Amino acid sequence: MDTLATLILIFVGAALINNFVLHYFVGICPFLGVSRRVDTAFGMGCAVTFVISIAALLNWTFTYFVLRPGAPLPAWVWAAAGGDPGTQVDLSVLSYIIYIFVIASSVQLVEMYVRKFFPPLYRSFGVYLPLITTNCAILFACLEIMKQMQDPTKLWGLHEALTLAVGGGIGFTIAISLMAGIREELDLCDVPRPLKGAGIALIVAGIMAMAFMGFTGVDKGVHEALSALLR
Amino acid sequence: MLTTVALALAAGVLAVLAIAMGYVLGWANRRFHVEVDPKVEALLAALPGANCGGCGFVGCAAYAEAIAQGSTEVSLCAPGGASCAQQLADIMGVALEESFPYRAVVHCSATTDQRLQRTEYRGERTCTSANLVAGVQGCIYGCLGLGDCATACNYDAVHVVDGLARIDYDKCIGCGACARACPRNIITNVPFKSERMLVVACSNQDAAADVRAVCMVGCIGCKACMRAAPDLITIEGALPSINYDNYDPTDETLQKVLEKCPRKRVLFVGKPTEAELAAVAHEELPEPVQADFKTTVDDTEWRG
Amino acid sequence: MPREQPTALERFINGILPENPIYRQLLGMCPVLAVTNGMKPAMTMAAATAFVLICANTIVSLIRGLLKPHLRILVFTLTIATFVTIADRFLAAYVYEMSKQLGPYVPLIIVNCLIISRCEICASKQGVGVAVADAFGMSLGFALALASIATVREILGSGTWLGLPVLPAAWPGWGIMVLPPGAFLTLGLLLGIAEWASQRRAAGKRQEGGTR
Repeated sequence: MDTLATLILIFVGAALINNFVLHYFVGICPFLGVSRRVDTAFGMGCAVTFVISIAALLNWTFTYFVLRPGAPLPAWVWAAAGGDPGTQVDLSVLSYIIYIFVIASSVQLVEMYVRKFFPPLYRSFGVYLPLITTNCAILFACLEIMKQMQDPTKLWGLHEALTLAVGGGIGFTIAISLMAGIREELDLCDVPRPLKGAGIALIVAGIMAMAFMGFTGVDKGVHEALSALLR
Repeated sequence: MLTTVALALAAGVLAVLAIAMGYVLGWANRRFHVEVDPKVEALLAALPGANCGGCGFVGCAAYAEAIAQGSTEVSLCAPGGASCAQQLADIMGVALEESFPYRAVVHCSATTDQRLQRTEYRGERTCTSANLVAGVQGCIYGCLGLGDCATACNYDAVHVVDGLARIDYDKCIGCGACARACPRNIITNVPFKSERMLVVACSNQDAAADVRAVCMVGCIGCKACMRAAPDLITIEGALPSINYDNYDPTDETLQKVLEKCPRKRVLFVGKPTEAELAAVAHEELPEPVQADFKTTVDDTEWRG
Repeated sequence: MPREQPTALERFINGILPENPIYRQLLGMCPVLAVTNGMKPAMTMAAATAFVLICANTIVSLIRGLLKPHLRILVFTLTIATFVTIADRFLAAYVYEMSKQLGPYVPLIIVNCLIISRCEICASKQGVGVAVADAFGMSLGFALALASIATVREILGSGTWLGLPVLPAAWPGWGIMVLPPGAFLTLGLLLGIAEWASQRRAAGKRQEGGTR
């Protein structure tokens, strides 16, 4: 049950405590750009969550088998080439290139698939998919997962990686939907001209970030509650 | 040796990845190919791209797709106007039916002084907020005059003068933003079959006595207009409404309706006619007074 | 009628203030908010972005004849990823502490909309000289914007500038400024000021044009 506790902690951490948008500042461009109406914002959030999960899945697989220190494939090739088993071939320098390539290709594939087989879905969410390729949030999730796979003794498994990804995506959806709701109301307000648009949106985001800071320490509380519950 | 193997492995991994994804994407391109109607591209190019939503679709792209599917008319784009409608019709290969520009019409004509039972409103200066409060003015149907429509207009065509929203028909393009912004829904988009159209300039649906208590100029529901032009005007509640599909600008009954209305609430609105322009054209503008510097104090003799 | 392409000098000057990447184009906001809690991280990030932008612009400009239209974004991204890897390894080797502080934001330069947009708008269409000038201009503008935000946040948040104390020790240090909310609020207010300044200038130009 320790695994379940860890997973819940990772999920709550990614979604609320260390919210991708409001704590780590990734995904700001769609956060400011697509958050005018709640339905489009929610659509963007769902699309991001979907893409993050796929990207995390593929990139975890790559990292596990090829890119981390001590990965099976380089170790096998090194042994086959008759190398000294004391040293390792470390391919982690290729990480960024491979991550972004995998993200771009998988987004392209998903877009083509959705466009062909789910036209109504494509009409509502599909237009955001090309935007998501350059979305920092996807790459950031992959980088966080990579960070947790550097130590061969405490390696993150696929379940932890996916929980982080889905949690991050859901946190992004929460933040962008809240922002959209607030901006819909702001449209009716008398905002000073220089602040209209991005200015007031950022100030509102700052206040939201302050509010989300209230979640600090929730992970400790959840951890204690879960330990008591699952004992 | 470590370096060589590392380099070779890196190059190998990248090459394999590139070739594999290349194959997969190529296969996917053929397998998931979607027929895109080239007409949609052409239609989209012809549309102004303002994404104003005036046509009733989410954006120009949605409208272009709807036209390509044949599910809507080509004449719905207000900012594009007649030239755009003609281009769209040419691309689709249809004949353009005669269509008319839509313009906004405010169905209220009472200025602040003409509204009765007003109270001093100290709340948020928006119509949406004032509409939520009871008792700002006697008439619960008419214009509040706080300018949500003027704020919504991107073309500077709506102004609130004397507490009443007025449309500048030289600038209005009929996008409908003001109509959507009005919380009392008294602005509608009317097809302007001529430069000036007969409209009902009141929205009060109450009976005569109640109307007179709240407004000095509101429609009292006497039905004189309906009797004068039964094909054109119907009465709902105590308020007339004009059927613009049957509207014919050359019909003489329009003038009769205008004359018959005792409160003069069925009016012509639109751009000023040539007759009106001509009526004021011959008036001489007063000459600006030129200062005659011979009479300044310095030159005045002091006859002490 | 095709417009005349801007010259190298025009591109350079454009990038600094008129088309400032952060205040006017609103691109590349993620690193702006994340690394501006001090001047040192901000300048390191500006230097790294400048390196990547200049190199990427150069390479893309050199290979612009070979780009297939539907693959160009992917090619830009891979080129940028290569240079970001180089920059990241360089920082980790020579300024390890700073690299740890910047954390995941150096690799996030890959998806910085600014670099991809400069490759698309300028480098893929014009020669190496113009592309490099454009990169220099944009980098300078980016650095200036980062410096302005970092100055505000660092001075108000810790009373220091570039690590040197500038406010008396009695200054309590507004902790909120170095935390995420401070980033959003500072950027929002500075954007408001920049917008106000440009609206004033535009109104001034309109005035002149009207009375002429």
